[in-house]
Amino acid sequence: MLKGHLDAIVLAALEAGPAHGYAIIEAIKDRSGATFDLPEGTIYPALHRLEQAGLLESEWMTPPGGRRRRIYSLTKAGTAALAARRTAWDRFSRAVNTLLGGGRPWPA
Amino acid sequence: MAGVIDTYLASLRQDLAFDPALAQRLAEEVECHLREAAEADADWPSPDAERRAVERFGLAREIAAQLARDAVERQARRTWLTVVATLVVTFVAMRLRVMWLEDLGEAASAVAPLVDRYAFVAAVSVAAVGWLAFRGSVLLLAVCLGGLAASIAAGFVRASLFAAGAPLGVLLPAAVEFALVGLLAWHVAGLGRRLRQTAALRRTVR
Repeated sequence: MLKGHLDAIVLAALEAGPAHGYAIIEAIKDRSGATFDLPEGTIYPALHRLEQAGLLESEWMTPPGGRRRRIYSLTKAGTAALAARRTAWDRFSRAVNTLLGGGRPWPA
Repeated sequence: MAGVIDTYLASLRQDLAFDPALAQRLAEEVECHLREAAEADADWPSPDAERRAVERFGLAREIAAQLARDAVERQARRTWLTVVATLVVTFVAMRLRVMWLEDLGEAASAVAPLVDRYAFVAAVSVAAVGWLAFRGSVLLLAVCLGGLAASIAAGFVRASLFAAGAPLGVLLPAAVEFALVGLLAWHVAGLGRRLRQTAALRRTVR
């Protein structure tokens, strides 16, 4: 189930600013309270797919005294795609919450 | 002696051999990830720290299989885009040839016009079925390619373009359709190759 939403989760993780793969997976673990414990490598096909789709861009950077890393950031299209996926998810989760949480009675 | 991370990276490069540029790029990126993860381990430096980093990362073959599936989807999109472009250009080139031949008063063989027309109709029909129901089918794409190639070849025979001194307005679309059918053949072959690679990776992941 999580894999179906991985692209949106990665986009959301990059909303705060550019980051490299390891930082993205750490951010996802932190923000989900370690609920999402995917194999860390799963993130790389998603990053590559999103970059190919023009939703992310990346470049190699070497911080002073640090390790060379590929840094990913959202493109304008990525920001728009995140907003669209967020809206779709809100609608979907409200509907499921209503069904599971007993918010409204089932049609008779 | 190679470390745990080095062994893993060699395995990843091997599994990504279907795309050497991607293999190189990803291996560099994954190395950076794994070394950072290992250094964050309480037991660093030790083979156990490297092993745990590799275990958390997941199987190289699963990552390669996912990338191969994505590559198949991209290749299929490119191939279908080329199919549409080739069909449109072939249709336009065919109409221009027919109009030019009508002006000249066509005196070609009886077979070539039939092959030209019906091979094209067959290619359009197969492409429509493939697009609607079997977008990953190399067989249907190959049949569509065969129909287009037959139609184009028959069109060339029918018009004897160069011998009859065809105008640029007829020659140029003919050259474009010829180039596009070559590009389509290249894409279809590429899609077939990628599908085989993905199937091989899937078999070994299971």
